[in-house]
Parts: sequence; C-alpha cells; structure tokens
Amino acid sequence: MPAQQAQAPQDHLFRDYELGPFFDEMFAAPGQPRPHYAKTFHELAGMAPGQFEESRRLADFSFLLQGITFTVYSDGQGTERLFPFDLVPRILPNSEWQVIERGLSQRVRALNLFLQDIYGPQRILKDRVIPRSLVYSCHHFHRVMMGVEVPRGIYTHIAGIDLVRDSKTGSYLVLEDNVRTPSGISYVLENRQVMTRTLPRAFQQHEVLRVDHYPAELCEILRLLSPRGVENPVMVLLTPGIHNSAYFEHTFLAQQMGIELVEGRDLVVDCDIVYMKTIRGLTRVDVIYRRIDDDFLDPLAFRPDSILGIPGLMGAYRAGNVTLANAVGNGVADDKAIYAYVPAFIGYYLGEDPVLSNVETYLCSRPEHLSYVLDHLPELVVKAVGESGGYGMLIGPEADRAALAEFRDRLQANPRNYIAQPVIALSRCPSYDSRTSHMAGRHIDLRPYCLFDGERVTIVPGGLTRVALKSGSLVVNSSQGGGSKDTWVLRGEC
Amino acid sequence: MLSRIADSLFWISRYMERAEDTARILDVNYHMMMEHSPQAHRLRWDPLVAITGEQERFSAQYEQATPRNVFEFLAFSPDNPSSILQCIASVRENARTIRDRISRELWEDVNSLYHSVTRFQPEEEMVAGPHRFCNAIRFGSHRFHGVADDTLAHDEGWNFLQAGRALERAEMTARIVDVEYHKLVETAAAGDAAGNQQWMAVLKSVAAYEFYRRQYHASIVPEKVAELLVLHAQHPRAIRFNIATLQQSLRAISGSGPGSYANEAERLTGKLHESLMYDRIEDIFGRGLHAFLADVQKACRSVGEHIARSYFYYAVVP
Repeated sequence: MPAQQAQAPQDHLFRDYELGPFFDEMFAAPGQPRPHYAKTFHELAGMAPGQFEESRRLADFSFLLQGITFTVYSDGQGTERLFPFDLVPRILPNSEWQVIERGLSQRVRALNLFLQDIYGPQRILKDRVIPRSLVYSCHHFHRVMMGVEVPRGIYTHIAGIDLVRDSKTGSYLVLEDNVRTPSGISYVLENRQVMTRTLPRAFQQHEVLRVDHYPAELCEILRLLSPRGVENPVMVLLTPGIHNSAYFEHTFLAQQMGIELVEGRDLVVDCDIVYMKTIRGLTRVDVIYRRIDDDFLDPLAFRPDSILGIPGLMGAYRAGNVTLANAVGNGVADDKAIYAYVPAFIGYYLGEDPVLSNVETYLCSRPEHLSYVLDHLPELVVKAVGESGGYGMLIGPEADRAALAEFRDRLQANPRNYIAQPVIALSRCPSYDSRTSHMAGRHIDLRPYCLFDGERVTIVPGGLTRVALKSGSLVVNSSQGGGSKDTWVLRGEC
Repeated sequence: MLSRIADSLFWISRYMERAEDTARILDVNYHMMMEHSPQAHRLRWDPLVAITGEQERFSAQYEQATPRNVFEFLAFSPDNPSSILQCIASVRENARTIRDRISRELWEDVNSLYHSVTRFQPEEEMVAGPHRFCNAIRFGSHRFHGVADDTLAHDEGWNFLQAGRALERAEMTARIVDVEYHKLVETAAAGDAAGNQQWMAVLKSVAAYEFYRRQYHASIVPEKVAELLVLHAQHPRAIRFNIATLQQSLRAISGSGPGSYANEAERLTGKLHESLMYDRIEDIFGRGLHAFLADVQKACRSVGEHIARSYFYYAVVP
C-alpha cells in the first residue's frame, strides 16, 4: 500500500485504498501509481486529510458563491444543491487522448452524414444498411425536416459523446451519443478554474492542455451560419429559462460568447423572420443556439402546449431565414437503437474502420435479441431509446424482482423502445469520500464536447469526467447523485 | 438591449431599495418604541405597515400590530411580497435571469447577500431585535450600488438601475412623510416631546437626521422636516433629488435633451420635477401636504407604468 512512501504522513488520504476488480485510473497495482499520475499521487499523499478537507470546502464555497447550483424541488421549497465536485483530477496522457480525438472526430462526421442522408436522399435506407422501420419508428425523426437544406450541411454543431473505459480490456468504448442539446461544458470550464485555485501546486506540476477556448470556437461556428451575408450577425442563446437545471450553463455560455441570452417570450416571428424584443423595438435574429428540445421549439409545429417556444419559428427556419444549432431532428441519430448502427455508418459513409468501439447492444425490436434479453435480464442494463440523463433505465444486477418484472412487461409491450447492454465494469478513479475522510475508488465516465464546422471537428482536450460518488454505483448522472472531476489532458505522456 | 433585461434591471434596484427602506424604517422605529409605553405601540406600529402599503395583507394574517408581528411581517413573511426577505429573493431571482448581462462581481454580490440573509433564523432574530438583521440589509444595499457603479458600464442598463432606485425611493419618501405627518397632526402630538422624538425617528430612517441638524440648527420642526424631505435638491433621500435623478436617467436612455421629452414617462417626470423645483414649502402646505404627496405618489406610479409601456411591453404582435 502507498503507506510505504517515506515522505507520506502516517494517516494519509490513500490509507486503506482498494483497487478492487476494476481498472484503476491512478494505480497500475496497489501503491504503484501509473506514470502520468505519479506527481499528483505524491502531491495528494503528502497532504493531511484535514488539509485536503479544507481545500474541498474552499472549492464548494466557490461554487456556492458563483451560484453554480441546481435546484431540487422534492421538498416543496426548492433547495439549491451543488453539483458535487471531486478534487482528484482525471488525467489522460496525450497518446491516449489522440486515440479518443480521432475516434470522436470520425464518429461526429459519420453522424452528420447520416443526418444529411436521412433527411435527404436516404441512400443508406435504399442500400439496406439500417432497417427503414427503425428510422421511421424513432420518436425524434421529424418528417418536417425532410428536404430542408441546413446551412453548410451541418446538423451536429455540438456533440457530447459519452465514453467509458471497460475494466476488462482497459480500452475506451462509446456508451452513447448526444447530438441534440448536450450539456455540461460549463462545468468543464468552471471545474478547471476552481481546480487551479484550490490545488495550484498539483496542477502546476504538469503541462495541462487548456480548455477555455471552447466558447470562442463555438461562437466562430455560429457566426459562419448566418443566413444573411452580414458581418455581425445577431446570435442568441435560447434558454427554457431560470427553472431549467442547465440554466447556469446557458448564462455562462451566453456571457462567454458575448451573445444575448433569450427566452421564448423575448422572440417573435413575423413573415418568417425572427425578431427579438428590445427597448428600441424589434431586432432581427440570424442564428439561434437553442437549448430547448425540438418538441418545445414551436407550438405550431410540435407540442401545441409548449409555452417555452416561439410560434412560427419552424417556418422561419425552413424558409432559411434563421439558423438553429443544433439542427432540428437530430434525435434520430442519438436514438439508443440507432446507436448500434453507428459503427456501420462509419464504414458506409467514410469507408473507415471505427477507432472507438460501441458497447455490445441488443435491439429489443429484433425478436431474437428480445428473447435473449428476456432470458438474461438480471445481467443486463436496459435503456429506453429516447431517454437521457439516466432516466428510464434498469440495471439488472441491482434490480429487485418487482423492477425486473415491470421491465419484462414493458419490453414485451413496446420492444422498439428498448435496448439492452451487458453491464460494463467502468474504470474507477480515486475520489474523496467525505464520510471516511479518505480516498476510495469510484466509477467514472467521460463526456468530451465536439464542435463541427462542416469540415473539421474541434474537441476541447478532455471533457467532463462524471463520477458516481456513491460507493459501488455505476450511474454517474447528476440527477442520480453523480459528481464531476476536472479532466487533464497532458501535453506529453506524464 | 432586450426589453426583458431592462425590465429586470429596473426591478432589481426597486426591490433592493424597498428592502433597504423597509429595513431602515423597521430598525429606527423599533428601537425608538422600546422607550415608550405599550399603549403607544398601536399608534406607532400601524403606520409602519401603512408606509409599506400592505395593510390589507397584514390584517389578513395578524390580529394586532404588535412589535413582534410587525417585525415578522416586514422582515420575514413569505406571504408579504414586500417583506425584506421576499425583496432580496426577488433581487436575486431577477439577477439570475440576467446574470450573463451583469458583471460577475455584481452577481456574486447579490448571490452572497441572498445566502447571508436566508441564513438568519427568524425566531432568533425576533428575540434579538431587528438591528442586526436590518444592518445586514442596509450594508447589502450600499454594497450592491457600490459594486454596480464600479463594475458595470454606465450604459442604458445601468440607467435603468438608477431609474428604478430613484423612482422607488421618491415614492417611499413621499409615503413616509405623508403617513407620519398625518398621524402626528391627527394626534395633536406634533409639538410635544414625543412628537419631536417621532420626527427624529423619521429623519433617522431616511439617513437625514445629522443633515437636518446641520441645515436647520433648530429643534425639530415638522414643516422643516417636510421641506427637507420633499424639496431638498442635494439630499439623496429627498423627493426632488430622486425625481431629478430619474429625469436624468430617463433622458440618458432615450437621448432626449433638456426642454424636450421622448415619451410620457419623461413628460410626467419633467412636470413633477418642475413643481418640486419652483414650489415653496409654504405653497405646498397652502394646498395641503397630503394632497400634494398623494399627487406625487400617483405620478410615480404613472411614470412606472409608462416606463414599462415605452420599453418593456410588447402588447401586440406586429
């Protein structure tokens, strides 16, 4: 155990640390940090638990002060909670990152080509690479988008692709694609800020690649999308409003990009032109970075009960008078059943082999898969295809009889709505357990943010590392008690 | 600037001002009343609620205007939208919706004020008395304006902040003078020692006590107090001062020059300012102080409505 380290104090943070049967991001073997973690390990091991606790409080206070909180309404009053931040960084050596970057870039281009195709000529359906019924039965496939020419052919301006490291093989797998309105990038930027303030010494020992150019990169892409040939297009960020759990992120990005943060009620459509209501009258809007789901964008085109949206927006969009990022109808590409075909898209559209593999996936819409899933339910993870955020999920090994029976019924009633995957033993990273005041291994994933300008995919080095802070838990979503870590991509190998 | 953002800025400073004014009135009067007989309480506490314009809500919740009830109602009550706590919550709520448009410093200041205010335990404070709580609000409000002035561009948004504060304060001062003068005259206490003390409390509650002493040297004379609070051009709590500030801010927003106006809000403000500039306190008393102050309050409300109509509301889709 690391207690052998000569300079470490008697009771140090890694006392009783257990690797378990998992891939540990920090340790190659008990007490032996991997080369790229050595400096950080020694820095942390040299800290007394009290000293670390102090840094942790400082970090929490900094988040509270900035109002980086989300609201929980379960107690009827609306209590504000911090999105827990774990101070132990997740570190990636450069060579590892390069593989991820290549794999994601390839995947994003393939997803975009798929969307161009599916709302255009539909070659992929004619060539029978993916069943027509699977696409047409997808809730997020929007016929209203057929034949719409989106500016520069871009659908997936921003993609958040979730990766996990499989303890069995030690390699990364793609867990899911998010190409509608992925969130979390603000935490990447804020975590970095807080990290450099609270543990400056650990940070300085490495050359960590910067992440703070994300808003500028995104802003450049939005600028390219203006339907009018004007030098300074009017760009806005459309938010559902203050009660949305990602509201902090919306304000953060709007401020960082220097664009207006608007709600649906600030906009109005007249003769297929979108305007915002200012104190000097109506001002035309060119580009909308929208953080509202398709269903709520325009009550005339989608859900008529939406009060968040703008009546007539889809008309303006289809007329080419305003650009939306991301495009409408992207949900057909990140549907969890369609996901199973993304490696095939990469081959079909790019003629390349996938750099990053998928998690093995059973499509319950296929009778032979469904019967396998029903026979092996206690070993599998079942997910609803259109959901995200850890909702609509069954984790077989943790489920009780009633839950298993319930899902069995649901699967049989609506097989198209579900997929199943084997339980992946996610890698673990040391994380502070405030209950014991010591480090413990906790499961993590990684969501990098990919920006696409029609030609090139730009990825901010690293991304959001989410961590399941509950002992043994595999669910990293913030809505399910997860936290996050700062993610360091090193310029070199250690 | 988005109309919604201008609207929020305007109301942020109105709520902040309302919180500060309420804290001042509560603090000063509470401690003055400690030296009085319990019978006098009613006389003193009813008007306090009247100044905030929330009598109806108060009597719906409480039977009697006891110090404790009034303290709770004005400071903490979640059912009183003008209670200090609710005002601070509204300030923060509004600031949150525009936090991308204000400085990080200002947002963090508002946010930490909110957190520090919600940490107060009403039950404990009710035992300790309002001083501690009210002081925190007063400091919070001063700090807010300091941070705003020092970290925001002095552009149209900042002018909406100024306008909101000036309008709220002018109306509040008008209400204080109106209610207090009325009551003191009614009870024929204006001249005696108790009356004297109550006027001192009024002056203290608007931070004008020391200034009054220096200006008038004499004992507290109700007419003089009214003159200071209504017509003084330099005291930042006087009605005239605030109407002048309001006029300046509105002109800065619209760009209209002296002698002209761009909208109804500016016209009404200019008209009110004229009368405050050229009327003497004798003229005002001649017409009746109450009638005059009622007009001021009416004009303030009207100006508020017209600001909203000119800048915030889009009633009809074009």
